[in-house]
Amino acid sequence: MGNASHFALFDLEPDFRLDQDRLAVRYRELVRRVHPDRFAGAPEREQRLALEEAARLNEAYQTLKSPSQRARYLLSLQGEELSQETTVQDPAFLMQQMELREELQELQDSADLAGVARFKRRLVQDQEQLNEGFAACWADPRRRDEAERLARRMQFLDKLFAEVRQLEERLDD
Amino acid sequence: MALLQIAEPGQSPQPHQRRLAVGIDLGTTNSLVATLRSGLAESLKDTEGETILPSAVRYLPDGRVEVGRAAKAAAAVDPLNTVLSVKRLMGRGIADVKLLGEQLPYRFAEGESHMPFIETVQGPKSPVEVSAEILRVLRRRAEEALGGELVGAVITVPAYFDEAQRQATKDAARLAGLDVLRLLNEPTAAAVAYGLDRGAEGVVAIYDLGGGTFDISILRLTRGVFEVLATGGDSALGGDDFDHAIANWIVEQAGLSADLDPGVQRHLLQLACAAKEALSDSGSVALAYGPWQGELSRERFEALIEPLVARSLKACRRALRDAGIEPQEIAAVVMVGGSTRVPRVRRAAAELFDRQPLTDIDPDQVVAIGAALQADTLAGNGRDGEELLLDVNPLSLGLETMGRLMEKVIPRNTTLPVARAQEFTTYKDGQTAMLIHVLQGERELVKDCRSLARFELRGIPPMVAGAAKIRVTFQVDADGLLNVSARELGSGIEASVQVKPSYGLTDGEIARMLKDSFEYAGGDKAARALREQQVEAQRLLEAVQAALEADGEALLSPAERAAIEAQMQALRGVLDGPDAAVIETHVRHLTQVTDAFAARRLDASVKAALSGRRLNEIEE
Repeated sequence: MGNASHFALFDLEPDFRLDQDRLAVRYRELVRRVHPDRFAGAPEREQRLALEEAARLNEAYQTLKSPSQRARYLLSLQGEELSQETTVQDPAFLMQQMELREELQELQDSADLAGVARFKRRLVQDQEQLNEGFAACWADPRRRDEAERLARRMQFLDKLFAEVRQLEERLDD
Repeated sequence: MALLQIAEPGQSPQPHQRRLAVGIDLGTTNSLVATLRSGLAESLKDTEGETILPSAVRYLPDGRVEVGRAAKAAAAVDPLNTVLSVKRLMGRGIADVKLLGEQLPYRFAEGESHMPFIETVQGPKSPVEVSAEILRVLRRRAEEALGGELVGAVITVPAYFDEAQRQATKDAARLAGLDVLRLLNEPTAAAVAYGLDRGAEGVVAIYDLGGGTFDISILRLTRGVFEVLATGGDSALGGDDFDHAIANWIVEQAGLSADLDPGVQRHLLQLACAAKEALSDSGSVALAYGPWQGELSRERFEALIEPLVARSLKACRRALRDAGIEPQEIAAVVMVGGSTRVPRVRRAAAELFDRQPLTDIDPDQVVAIGAALQADTLAGNGRDGEELLLDVNPLSLGLETMGRLMEKVIPRNTTLPVARAQEFTTYKDGQTAMLIHVLQGERELVKDCRSLARFELRGIPPMVAGAAKIRVTFQVDADGLLNVSARELGSGIEASVQVKPSYGLTDGEIARMLKDSFEYAGGDKAARALREQQVEAQRLLEAVQAALEADGEALLSPAERAAIEAQMQALRGVLDGPDAAVIETHVRHLTQVTDAFAARRLDASVKAALSGRRLNEIEE
């Protein structure tokens, strides 16, 4: 399998729009073959190979399953990694993020679980919008800046989701 | 459906020669061994017809070791030499043990590895040695019942067990002379036992409340593949705590002093345990201790354990969040562990998941039965529709970075196996060494995480700060065991550790135990080494033969095939000889000439999976 792309591993064309069910089905077919459990009685060398292949497969699957990681990966396939600099060049988004975080803080202070659920639904909508936007522009090299901006926004939203989950955990105590 | 028939690598070429393999549930309170006979999984009985072996070990002054019921019965009269619930001590350091929050009647001594050794009349015993005594009894029981030597065993562990606890379990098996085919998470084993792979699709929750540990696992089942979406729990919550709650209540009611001697403690706990069991069927139970007499109602009991039940539900909600699943999306709830017989526990699970939990299979046996099914598959007996278990790592793994912070490399609930690399750099000019501190846990600060290992990467060429590129790779295998390596990319210098958990046994301790172990005594040792080498060689020969028959023609040139066959012949020639070292050398030679073949087979198998898919799609 060498250095084939994550997409090639699943016999898929590199694209942001991805049939998740199909990806899952192929993942299960492949992992059935390379999982170390299939080599429990095999010589050590085969066990090691299986471990490496299965780990690579898992990595590819996790990357493609997550929209934000998939977006980032697609951009890296086009030649350049997404730079680590964040939203400095995206002041509108930065403002919006700060507002969202303040809102989250208020939800925490008022221990409002129903409010957290509503907040989460809004984030899901934002996420879907970002996905649509990215799908429309990533393949066009002239719109690379726009695609990068959207990919960074996706990552920000991921982090916000993680914070919401932590908040849910705290409110559960 | 299968258009392309591909033999699974590692499968036995002669399916009629059944390989004896067992599943072992090494529990906190009780242990069991089960196996598959004529297609049915069953727990094996001892000579008195009992399946359950209490996880109790007693060391006697005359050198004998009692395991099971006799030991458990002696706990009250000989508390210092009788070890109960040893699983709670596995992979723990002395400091952890003191934090367990209950009074343990043992006297502890610290070993060279900071592992707590229990002082007994037979000298200090580590939790690993105590567990090995239990495993040894189960192994003998299985070998007598099945009439042959075991190929290996699947041993179950709580999904929440960390690195150190898993390694300790493997060490115990090794001491007991058992080959571990796989450490399997208990909840996953329970799902296998209920045959949830057949028919049912969807997300299931496994609620496992045993004697000393609580596990909640959220699994997705799709066409025989079990994917663990999230696991959680509490490695210090179980039915034993229910007993303690009742015992404390008795102490309070009877006006006893809190400072009780070990014998009294044991007696009270036995009384409490009996009361708990009685309350599963009746509304109240009469209790007496010394002059004190009283009655415990089920309502009172439920109030006593409410905080414990609530802790389990909180862990459930957290696992659901980790999995990104709403409670009503759960298609089935499986109850595991003797403590799920408590009506309050069943009701709590039913309320949270909004459905009646499955309780048909004896909750004490369900894990061992699942492990037996999986052991049979791994031993290469090739059941139809064999399932694949995809586990996750239960806790995040990471490294210490500047400011004594934990940087996560592999977050919790990542599907195994996994390999992940992260790059670091030097922070001082001319820095030539870097300390790699491997951590496990969810907290930000290093001091709140568990330290797994430390090692140094030395010989980094002197450069300005930030110029060196050091790639640290974490690899976790299917059993959940971790390997960490570090490499400076410019110079290529490397260092690595197979993570030997801080509270595992040191090599010195293992060597001593192996020496002490009667199975390795005297001349037996050489005989055993020879026998092990022969089994290993036989296994390799069978695997290569099967591979040649399946793919030899397609993947090997005639010359390559001839070279492999010549090595096989050479190995067969020395197989029955008296010298383990000679066999080992030949095994190594055969492995070397089959290396490329193995790689090609794996590659071909993956390609075939894809092309098989395409053919199926055309067919649809």
